[in-house]
Amino acid sequence: MIEAQGLRKVYGEKTAVDGVSFTVQPGKVTGFLGPNGAGKSTTMRMIMGLDRPTAGSVTVNGLPYAKHKAPLHQVGALLDAKAVHTSRSAYNHLRAMAATHGIPKKRIDEVIDMTGLSAVARKKAGGFSLGMGQRLGIANALLGDPQTLILDEPVNGLDPEGVLWVRNLARYLAREGKTVFISSHLMSEMAQTADQLIVIGRGRIIADTTVDALIESQTRKRTLVRTPDTSRLGVLLAGEGVRVDQNEPETLEVSGIDPRRIAELALENRVLVYELTPLTSSLEEAYFQLTRDEVEYHSHLESHTGQAPGPVNGAPGSGAPGTRRMSDAEAAAMEGSQR
Amino acid sequence: MSTAIASRTPVPSTSGAHGVNFFRVLDSEFIKFRTLLSTKILVLGTFVAIVGVAMLAALARWSIINQMTSTEGPGGQKMTPQQAAESIPPGQGFELYNLPNAGLNIGILVLGSLAVLFIASEFATGMIRSTFNAAPDRLSTFVAKAVVLVVVSYVLSIAGGALSFLLAAPMFTGMGLDLDWGTDGVLYSLLTGGLYVSGVALIGLSLGTLLKNSAGGITILVAIMFVLPFAGSFLAFVPGDFWKYVPQYLPSEAGGRFLSIGHADGILDPWQGGLIFLGYVILFMFPALFALKKRDV
Repeated sequence: MIEAQGLRKVYGEKTAVDGVSFTVQPGKVTGFLGPNGAGKSTTMRMIMGLDRPTAGSVTVNGLPYAKHKAPLHQVGALLDAKAVHTSRSAYNHLRAMAATHGIPKKRIDEVIDMTGLSAVARKKAGGFSLGMGQRLGIANALLGDPQTLILDEPVNGLDPEGVLWVRNLARYLAREGKTVFISSHLMSEMAQTADQLIVIGRGRIIADTTVDALIESQTRKRTLVRTPDTSRLGVLLAGEGVRVDQNEPETLEVSGIDPRRIAELALENRVLVYELTPLTSSLEEAYFQLTRDEVEYHSHLESHTGQAPGPVNGAPGSGAPGTRRMSDAEAAAMEGSQR
Repeated sequence: MSTAIASRTPVPSTSGAHGVNFFRVLDSEFIKFRTLLSTKILVLGTFVAIVGVAMLAALARWSIINQMTSTEGPGGQKMTPQQAAESIPPGQGFELYNLPNAGLNIGILVLGSLAVLFIASEFATGMIRSTFNAAPDRLSTFVAKAVVLVVVSYVLSIAGGALSFLLAAPMFTGMGLDLDWGTDGVLYSLLTGGLYVSGVALIGLSLGTLLKNSAGGITILVAIMFVLPFAGSFLAFVPGDFWKYVPQYLPSEAGGRFLSIGHADGILDPWQGGLIFLGYVILFMFPALFALKKRDV
């Protein structure tokens, strides 16, 4: 269980975390989601007592981290895959960590087996690939068999098999009643791993809810309509609370009006419609919708080409009613002419 | 709030029920020290270097005494080896009883740098975050590292010094000089030499903690221990008596004085030198402890 109260961190003039409060419950996998620079890692470092909060407080299993008598048995953390001396072997690194809590050698071998490091355990950690480094970091976190696990971007650099392994491990530990707190900027990964989601953007919590509820709240029911006469249908559909976007030729994305009503309008006005498909949003889209204004580092490309469909502007419903967005072909042509 | 109360009791773990305490942190730091190949090579190399430099220094003294006894002085008389040995100015660390410490400077250089690296490399690699997760009170880690460095420095200096003396003493006894473990100051300088190197290692550890950077820490340590006394020696050329007495308060000079015996007019007594050096060690250590406790890592 992790409880944060008004947690705030200011570096010089920059506010990294701006007064966040949340609770991470045991028995669940809680995803901590946000764009790069949103304050995820800073929050996790404050939980672990590595960074001193400018204001507010945070407890793990009821106590501030540093007050625990046996912190490795309470909380295991992977904050940074590189938190290992590069010239020491993985085994000796774990041995030095285990010594601080009198953890037996047997347990070191266990976590090495568990994380698939047996073949490289005697090699210098500095020579590890990103994925091996992540596995060593996870082995380090599991060493004390802690009640609470904090993993900062654990799947970074892992191969598909490793990603699946982390997912299963997180779910297994949560089933055992442990608190599992995982940060990621990968929405798709969290959709499959987490039960609960805390979404952070520019240092503020923008959602704290279940995965299903997040999708529900952040998406409007949309309908894909294919018609050769998009401009006419667009005008006909325009009205109170209705959005019409065009991303492809002969295709409209309509929200704020149900498919039956679209069909009726088309029939009454004799507009040919050859596809009418209700769309459900993915968690990915819900996330973009939610963090659209909270992204710290917009990609540079976006500011050049203006309307090119990027991850940020490409979010559903961002166009004005009836506006027609630049097609891919046009964007490519424009980019070509700039060269 | 029953959940909050329940969660305050430690949750049992299958990997053991021991908490963290100072001796476990010390054990961990000793493991860290001996599991780096570079450290082992450096320690072995230092031992060889201490003895080797001591041999060269002993040879230099031997040839000076040899020259003084074989050439005629102003009075037309040759000096006896005893007279030549006694003509060495006191308190400068060149007396024969100081032979165990003849290679000490190399030990200071390497062990001081090793001390900077012992903590600065943890900051550089990010290891410090793992370390502080395991021992979140932080100060125990610093103290444990200090104990490791003091033990290693002391043992290495004493072993190197004793071997140096054993190898060098026959050169001088062969000239008819009285020099053995019973000679005044021999044991004293051997034992205090280890303390001096340990103190420099503590200054190195403090510098590594304050700067979080190996290169910067080592540079400053070398500047303090080797460049400052060199610069200080130029103060003797400043007119007036006052400046002549300033350099002996530098860490390296005060520490070096601690290793000699006997009183000499105008210079610090050994115990005063020792206290001043200890003052420097504390002067570096307290800001380091404060910074370690307060700073984000």
